[in-house]
Amino acid sequence: MVEYDRSQTREGPEAPGPRICIVGVGGAGSNVVDRITLDRIVDATLVCAHTDVRVLGHSMAPLKIQLGAELMKGIGAGGDPDLGREAALFSREQIRQAVEGHDIIFISAGLGGGTGSGAAPVIAEIAKNTGALVLVVATMPFSFEGRRRLAQAEEALELLQKRADALVLFENNRMGELILPKDGIQKAFNQADQLIAQSLRAVSTITTTPGLVKLGLDDLTSALANANGRCLFGFGEARGQNRGVEALKKALKSPLIDSGRLLHQTKNLLVHVAGGESLTLVEVEGVMKQLGRHVPDQTHILFGLGVDAKLGDAIAVTLISSLGLNQLNAHAAAAPPSEMLQPRAEVPAAAPKREAPAKKLSPPYAPPVETSASFLFKGEEMAVVPVGEAFPLNHGMPAEEKETEAVEQPMLMQDEPVAEESTAPIIESTPETARIPVRTPAAKELADAARGKESTLASVVARSVTLQTEAAPPQDDLITFDTPVVSTISATSTVIARKPAATEQQTFSLGEEDRGRFKDTEPSIVQGEDLDVPTWMRLKKKLRR
Amino acid sequence: MAKSTIYAGLEIGTHKICVVVGEAKRDGAIKILGVGQAPSRGVRKGEIVDFEKVQTCVNDALVRAEDRSDVMIRNVFLGVTGAHIESLNNRGRHRLPDDQTEITEDDVEESKEIARSVSIPQSNVFLHSVTRQYIVDGVEAVRQPIGREGRTLEADYHIIHGIRGRVQNAIRCVREIPLEVEDVVFNPVAAAQVVLTREAKMQGALMIDFGAGTCDYVLYEDGMITASGCVPLGGDHITNDVSMALQIPNGRAERLKVEEGSVLYDEVPAGEMLSIEDDTGLILGEVERAFLNEVMNLRTKEILTQVRVRVEDHLGRLGAGVYLTGGVSLMKGVDAVAREVFGIKVTRAGSAPVSGITATFENPQYSAPIGLIRYAQILDSEKPFLSPLKRLGRRMQELLSAVTF
Repeated sequence: MVEYDRSQTREGPEAPGPRICIVGVGGAGSNVVDRITLDRIVDATLVCAHTDVRVLGHSMAPLKIQLGAELMKGIGAGGDPDLGREAALFSREQIRQAVEGHDIIFISAGLGGGTGSGAAPVIAEIAKNTGALVLVVATMPFSFEGRRRLAQAEEALELLQKRADALVLFENNRMGELILPKDGIQKAFNQADQLIAQSLRAVSTITTTPGLVKLGLDDLTSALANANGRCLFGFGEARGQNRGVEALKKALKSPLIDSGRLLHQTKNLLVHVAGGESLTLVEVEGVMKQLGRHVPDQTHILFGLGVDAKLGDAIAVTLISSLGLNQLNAHAAAAPPSEMLQPRAEVPAAAPKREAPAKKLSPPYAPPVETSASFLFKGEEMAVVPVGEAFPLNHGMPAEEKETEAVEQPMLMQDEPVAEESTAPIIESTPETARIPVRTPAAKELADAARGKESTLASVVARSVTLQTEAAPPQDDLITFDTPVVSTISATSTVIARKPAATEQQTFSLGEEDRGRFKDTEPSIVQGEDLDVPTWMRLKKKLRR
Repeated sequence: MAKSTIYAGLEIGTHKICVVVGEAKRDGAIKILGVGQAPSRGVRKGEIVDFEKVQTCVNDALVRAEDRSDVMIRNVFLGVTGAHIESLNNRGRHRLPDDQTEITEDDVEESKEIARSVSIPQSNVFLHSVTRQYIVDGVEAVRQPIGREGRTLEADYHIIHGIRGRVQNAIRCVREIPLEVEDVVFNPVAAAQVVLTREAKMQGALMIDFGAGTCDYVLYEDGMITASGCVPLGGDHITNDVSMALQIPNGRAERLKVEEGSVLYDEVPAGEMLSIEDDTGLILGEVERAFLNEVMNLRTKEILTQVRVRVEDHLGRLGAGVYLTGGVSLMKGVDAVAREVFGIKVTRAGSAPVSGITATFENPQYSAPIGLIRYAQILDSEKPFLSPLKRLGRRMQELLSAVTF
């Protein structure tokens, strides 16, 4: 009789496990590596790479790489990704030596800063070239860190996406929900690190340990497959009676999943259930049934099951999925409006722009202030309601600017289809087009702004001011700079075409001020329109007669 | 239980704060004993922004209500609203164990439990969860499933929830008066109890409580509450629009809106002028009536459209049409605009089935506070088919005890 060793059919215990390497890049990355070192949760080579020699000194990682020692002289990259990249390129050889000979390389980095965003893509490339699988675990900056860091992070993200086999992305903003508001910042960061460390461990165990129902890297990538997706990750471990359901509950409690609500929209969901020898089929069934309540029918569930003696009598449930940024934001907007409604990008972007034109607009046409007031109550011109001027009390702007606006607003309104009859005193308008004089510096600036940050601008405008919903794109072509002092924008009478000039101008005037008595309240935003701003202002419909 | 019970309903509105004292008779009739009202300060869009001002106003209203009704008020039913309140329908499905064919109370409880275990944001709290119907083996509209044969039982729930902190704020504000809050009720749910007749509910009706701060709505279909919610836009927005369009202070805009305003501008002869006076009676300027009306029309139409957007799916099945109540429903022409927006029959309605000071209950401004009395009565009545509402009461008590300590 032929003896057949059944254990051979599985991955035998003697087969060496894959060699794993975890590289922490930059401040956030090294924190995660520290956490992993302290917890000893993964059997891997731990490497810490940083430009700042002080951080390296504190790091617990057994292997440390000082990036660009000669270039940086041990000083951090100071938030400049270019420096970070240079430094990493300088230390190419060292990095390669450190990561060589591993099967799976994890790179953990906090994007947005200098070293993290600059060096991580370089390291990813080097790692990729050694022939290993490269997984990147990255965090996006907090929104309070500002627009610039976010842009840097997004840039780095793009590079990483090309080079890594899989990208697990965490949103720091959501991490904030991990802890109670009164907890210290220390704890917040700790918790975030812990969560990332957990996810690293989970991903490495899932993809490497043998399982009854095995999940491979392919499953992981398909769970994470989502253009510009953010990772939804939940991990829970529980013991004792009802441990399966408890573990799932804990996993769902993860703020990145928002107690299961975010799972409603996912297309792919990776579920991994692991337990000790005592794991029963009924328990697994229970977990999956419970999970079924949170997941729509059409979701593709990638199910994995593993028995790991190390877990003892505990059951661990891991959920991994991803959601596009848009969906995530939509969800955030739909959910409790109080804390999440504040669009993250807008605040810093809008503020500087307001100031700039305010300085530039010296009022060449500044009429006596009465103009604006007088035409309100004179039958003929009553229809011309100066948009920016309507509620003078609420204007926080300097008087000079106010006046300019008062002149310009009526002019802008001219090109409205209905507008012909009501001509503002200053300029003549043909039925089809209206010529709007704009002082060159301001016009140029606006045009540049529109060109440079079309998308940001569009989003800012769309959110903050309802009038300009379809604003930005077509306009800059219309602006011509032929005269030195005054450039003319000719806008056709269609609403969209004339938006450009209007867009910019109104962004300044239709701020908080125009919400009247609702300026202190939470805005009622529906489809990007602030409904507290008077309807007539938004529709910008000429009031008849 | 006593033959009749006296309840007090408190509505902290954006325009006025109103305390209604009513006597609920055993036979279901309600007699209004007194109404105390005070203009509201420190409320925006249905939510309290300035505690102290609101408390003063509530006190005023309370004293007046006590005076008129000759009742000492200790407990109130508090009506709340606000943009944060949302609703959803959820269905809980329970499969009976294989060896059982008859539905028992436990099964019903189980299915309810499942239906209620809908995930709402952690910061939110259930305000109401009302059973709409039971479904046994796919057969809909079962009112009483216990004792029926079946394999699966589903419970259909309408769940109204809001942000815990904001609901608590309202409660805390009232408790400091001091007044005990017996129950918190979402305003339109209360108002619907007196505005909509049972028949209207069966035929399908949309009730819109068009108040100063918010526009709350409840939609009934086949006698079941199907949708409810709050659009954080109201009469205040109309006033604000007017004030900004005419560049006049808010108070004057409000007066102009109430006294002269209408939302119909087509028939207004061109050139008809209104004069605007300032505080000293000096004539500030003139404004064309059509202009004023159009500003108001645009906003009113928009607000109603916002409501329409939210109930779009159900509009086809409203036999009884739209019922408009609340302060803004007194505005001239608002029903015509509503008809234009919804395309179905529109009725302006106050609360109907009460007796007492007639002037009060005919006024749609008082629908919600009077509804609170009716709601309290329903909550306390022991008719078996209303038991879900009782359960709801218990839930509310849980909430309140959580709030207290």
